Amino acid sequence: MKTRILGFVAAAAIAAMAIVSLFVVPADLNQGDAQRVMYPHVASAWLGYLSFGVTALAGILWLWKRDLRFDAVALAGAEIGVMFTAFAIWGGMMWGRPVWGVFWQWEDPRLTTTALLLALYVGYLLFRRLTDDPARRATRAAIVGIVAAVDIPIVHFSVEWWRGLHQGATIGSPSRMLNPAAPMVFVGTLLGMLAAFTLAWVYLMIRRYQLARVQMAREEAVRLERLSAARAASPRATVPPPAPHGPESTEAAR
Amino acid sequence: MPQTIYVSPRSLGAFDERPPAVVTADLARLFAGSPALAGVSLRVEPGATVALLGPNGAGKTTLLRLLATVIRPSYGTAQVDGLDIGREPELVRVRVAYLSHATGLYDDLTARENLAFAAEMLGTPEPRQRVSRALQDVGLAGRADDRVRGFSAGMRRRLALGRILLGSASLVLLDEPYAALDADGMALVDQLLTAWREAGVTVLLTSHAPERLAVTIDGSVVLDRGVVAETRGHGVSELPSALDAPSATRPQQVVS
Amino acid sequence: MSGLRSEARVALAIARKDALAELRGRHATVSTLFFAAIVLLLFGFALGPDSARLAAAAPGLLWLAIVFAGILAVSRLHLLETDDEALEQLALYPVARRAIYAGKALGGLAVMLVLGLVVLGAVGVLFAVDIGGALLPLLVTVVLGATGIAAVGTFYAGVTVRLRAREVMLPLLMLPVLAPLLLGAVKATSAALTGDPFGELGSWLQLLVAFDVIMVAAGAATYGYLLED
Repeated sequence: MKTRILGFVAAAAIAAMAIVSLFVVPADLNQGDAQRVMYPHVASAWLGYLSFGVTALAGILWLWKRDLRFDAVALAGAEIGVMFTAFAIWGGMMWGRPVWGVFWQWEDPRLTTTALLLALYVGYLLFRRLTDDPARRATRAAIVGIVAAVDIPIVHFSVEWWRGLHQGATIGSPSRMLNPAAPMVFVGTLLGMLAAFTLAWVYLMIRRYQLARVQMAREEAVRLERLSAARAASPRATVPPPAPHGPESTEAAR
Repeated sequence: MPQTIYVSPRSLGAFDERPPAVVTADLARLFAGSPALAGVSLRVEPGATVALLGPNGAGKTTLLRLLATVIRPSYGTAQVDGLDIGREPELVRVRVAYLSHATGLYDDLTARENLAFAAEMLGTPEPRQRVSRALQDVGLAGRADDRVRGFSAGMRRRLALGRILLGSASLVLLDEPYAALDADGMALVDQLLTAWREAGVTVLLTSHAPERLAVTIDGSVVLDRGVVAETRGHGVSELPSALDAPSATRPQQVVS
Repeated sequence: MSGLRSEARVALAIARKDALAELRGRHATVSTLFFAAIVLLLFGFALGPDSARLAAAAPGLLWLAIVFAGILAVSRLHLLETDDEALEQLALYPVARRAIYAGKALGGLAVMLVLGLVVLGAVGVLFAVDIGGALLPLLVTVVLGATGIAAVGTFYAGVTVRLRAREVMLPLLMLPVLAPLLLGAVKATSAALTGDPFGELGSWLQLLVAFDVIMVAAGAATYGYLLED
């Protein structure tokens, strides 16, 4: 019930921020209306990173505690993360086309880093599908997720370094650079959109987690049922059920 | 054939002071949703030689592999020498030796090199002498410097047994030790079993064909379709299982 | 068996075992080298015939060839362990998991170093690049790059060796993770070859060192878990 309320609140928040970012906030002085894509684009990218962090952390917790619920969180994080990252890339492309004239360019490699992030996620999800046994899958996914997550900061910093070393001459003419008409409003809208998207993220994570738990429970029920079916089917000797101070070992009483 | 086989001394302690070699509680393992072991609760006494019997698919190999910590349990627990296989597998591994269907030998290395590598991994003291001795004990001294690639299945098995001799296990798990061996090879296994018994090592072995077990085994467990059908003799006993309790105590389904 | 010295001994024993097996039977190193050479030829074919363009692209082509051939090289070392379920047996020894990782990675490093040096020489010849003029920084770059590929590759080769789709999963998982290494190595190579006009060589080498250290640590910490079942 609380989740449903959260869902409504998130939807309302996004709707509100959409209106604000599309109609209320002034257009960028240099980039014009195209810049408006930036608000959801940045928010999505941030949530993509956050999701992967959650997946990696959940993986660590699984390895430590061996509770499959952590694996469900990891799976949710990866799938939701793919969503937001893909959206961020799409947004980046939509932004790039009018501003730079091309869908993709390489001088500002942040689009490439986000694409790498997507590649890491997709690899993780594909990798998960290759193992059926839940515990084994959780362990393997956890280590792949951890190593990928460790890589992400390196990717980020190496690319920032790269940008830093090639500043200025390559970013494009100064007339294309970001120049908000009202900087405080700009920042405020960014944060607002981020907050709205984060609410949506939390909602989606909860729902995906619940779904994963239901699937897990169903798998578990099947396993337990097969287990008891196997026990019932075999001609085993019955051992008396445990009495408070029952005998330690018995021979069969057929 | 040497008269005595060198089995590493391991301070095992007096019998009555040692914990049971193996205790399992509703140990179960599924593969691809299908139960290979459906809840086994056993106790094996230290120093006993116990045979695991039963038809194909009964779960004998799975039980051995669980105890060897090759695989982890799906449900249930087990202790080897008082150590939990789920929580302390590294400590269990120090005490257990396992002969599987596959021998885990490197084809491009010679018999001696394979054992030398194993000795380094196991931390065997005086490795070169022990390797030579092990090769002698299993009757492969003449082929010591031949590559394993050319070995027959029987010779590989012997070499794998030689590898076990390099360790100092207190629990030896043998999966079909007589398979692929000729008469000499089977006699070797009998000698090994005798040597282990004298050293107080617990041995758990599987066999399709109990008639072959010419050695004195202390007891046997018959598995059928993943559960214990019966136990016979000494050294092994079945324990009461929680899985047969009324459903009130069964694990509840977890839905958010 | 505890203590760093015994772990080092275990790692060396494993590396030695791999080297022995590799020398004796597999000839994998040779075929991997030929693969790298063919890749370089194809690059020349696809991007040529303008020699100036190829020379300018040489750092990138160098490292692409090393990375692609490297994928084959690291997967070979774990394929060794599929000999009669040898990996399973290896996992049963009472040795530290990170020592096993270190041993396999050392073997990988040896192969990658040979690969890197040979490909470097080949690029010098094929694309008319003056290697000798910047030999030391180029060698350092190759060593650092080889270490990173060995560290990451060993981990992912272990992860994928028992999977059904291993041939495609290994590059799929490995390549995105290697992106920063590729960037750093190419930039460092390029800087070295052009006399480092912007003074950025040191920064790129630092990036490579950081990558190597982090990835070795991550691999060593997590490798043990893939030996579970």
